[in-house]
Amino acid sequence: MKFRRSTKLLVDVPAVASGDIAFNLIVFFLVCASTQPDTGRSQILPKSEQTQQQKEQDEHLTVDLKRNAVLINGDPVKTMEIKARVKAKLAGKSRPDDRVVIVKSADDVPYHAWIEVTSQIEDAGGIITLQLEEERTVDVPQ
Amino acid sequence: MKMKRGKPKVDIPSVAMGDIAFNLLIFFVILAQSQDDSHIQWTPAKADNLKGAGYTRVTVTIDKDQKVYLNGQELSEGQLASRIESHLGDAPAGQRKVMLKAHSDCTAAKFEPVIEAISQAGGELVHILEDKKKQ
Repeated sequence: MKFRRSTKLLVDVPAVASGDIAFNLIVFFLVCASTQPDTGRSQILPKSEQTQQQKEQDEHLTVDLKRNAVLINGDPVKTMEIKARVKAKLAGKSRPDDRVVIVKSADDVPYHAWIEVTSQIEDAGGIITLQLEEERTVDVPQ
Repeated sequence: MKMKRGKPKVDIPSVAMGDIAFNLLIFFVILAQSQDDSHIQWTPAKADNLKGAGYTRVTVTIDKDQKVYLNGQELSEGQLASRIESHLGDAPAGQRKVMLKAHSDCTAAKFEPVIEAISQAGGELVHILEDKKKQ
């Protein structure tokens, strides 16, 4: 008995490896996504302590930060001029203790404004020290 | 004429291996997401002259709703200093970095106590910001 050989061959795309290809693609994109570096600005702050600030305020430069204004030792200053003004005030002071700048912020000052001002103070050679109120009012939702 | 029946080929089915690996991967990705802070919504403030922040074990985030998170887990400001301290342990200076990811519009009433807590815990503060030139 003779068998007839079929001349038609089944041609198919090999699908066995497609799972592995997908897996490798996912790993590749995950690695790409997770290695995006963060950029930032480091800030050295003195360790917090409770002190009577009156004497220190008299000796050091004080920057009052309000929502729409910046005051250096009580004088209003434009945001763009902060660096130059602080630099001028700190001229001739080489000891770190003398370069301390006390920053007092109003409760409603946004973070981006705070960063803008403190960056300029640091660029001018100042050492930032925060002065926080002892008590803050917190509204509790009813 | 008799046809000889061949031996049945016994093999572990490997076709599903890719799918199994894929599902395992998704499982671990979801598991890892609960530990990181990528689900927190915040917009970085913009600044000039930024440097690479490097690696840190401690990240404090303040989101757009002014909620505070430590390594992706929400907590109150009161707990922050002690929790950061326990994370940093006895790490020497230079390895005590704490990243602060504060939402651009969050207010001083919220971020200043957080900065104070980081300072209290002996952390080296790094503000995570976006370069102005990227705009």
